[in-house]
Amino acid sequence: MAQPLPLEAPDTALIAAWRDGDEQAAAALVARHARALARFLSGAGAPEAELDDLVQETFIRAFRSVDRFRGQCQFRTWLMTIGGNVLKDFGRRSSRRQVMPLDDAVRDVGGDPHEHAEATEAEARIAEGLKKLPRMQREVFLLRAQQGLEYEEIAAALATSPGAARVHYHHAVRRLKEIIA
Amino acid sequence: MNEEKLIQAAKQLGASAAERLDVEATARKVLERLREQPAPRTVWTRTMWLRIAAAVVLVVGGVFAVARVTPERGSGAHHPDLIADELRDLSTDDLRTLLTSFDQIIDESVVPDSTADLPELDTQALRELLKEG
Repeated sequence: MAQPLPLEAPDTALIAAWRDGDEQAAAALVARHARALARFLSGAGAPEAELDDLVQETFIRAFRSVDRFRGQCQFRTWLMTIGGNVLKDFGRRSSRRQVMPLDDAVRDVGGDPHEHAEATEAEARIAEGLKKLPRMQREVFLLRAQQGLEYEEIAAALATSPGAARVHYHHAVRRLKEIIA
Repeated sequence: MNEEKLIQAAKQLGASAAERLDVEATARKVLERLREQPAPRTVWTRTMWLRIAAAVVLVVGGVFAVARVTPERGSGAHHPDLIADELRDLSTDDLRTLLTSFDQIIDESVVPDSTADLPELDTQALRELLKEG
């Protein structure tokens, strides 16, 4: 039987181990990236009540299609692009069921008044502004500003060019400034 | 709000919600769901085969329908050898009349220059001219 991988093993080793059927490697990847993914999804408009499910769904899709991950970007960045698709599907389902459109998701973070109080005014305004951006601009902005990624990394994950990613980011910043002002 | 403040605020976005996430429980649920729900590969494959089969049926049906409504190729056309045989049976005057009637039908611009001297052509030359036409 293969030796369990150390917790600090690189993503590539954990991914290879998961491909060989090592569930603990998958658990380690979830433990490593779940919070960053949750922040990204939350910033992109996921309601907190659904955050856990959306994070789970993202990991499940990622693990099932891990053969398509060729190391073109970091695993975490790739995960976030999958998260963007999961969130889009969720928004579509929500609007079909007319339960809660995605646009309202940020406004209602689960019905807990304490949670509302925690969000600073600036965050709330940005969250509001992000809802009004096109998906590409929103994701590029979050990957750059929230996750601190380089344009090359963002471009590789979103299948665009670094120059285009830069343009999307600057459009996003300009529009956010206009919206928030 | 300037860009720096925008980035600072963006960094905090969703931080508290992420902190509340029970990562261990999430990992456990992910593994459970992966075990419980088989990868939708078989479903995908079945769906793809159904689509391919539907496409094949459509294409075959379309070809069949087109073949039914389209008249059989060549049924209305004359084989060149038959035309040549028919021309051989015509006399010089018949050929000359035929070419003259062509002149009336076809625009002058597309008629070869040689037709200008039709009376001077012999039977063989007229036959060749008609074959070319």
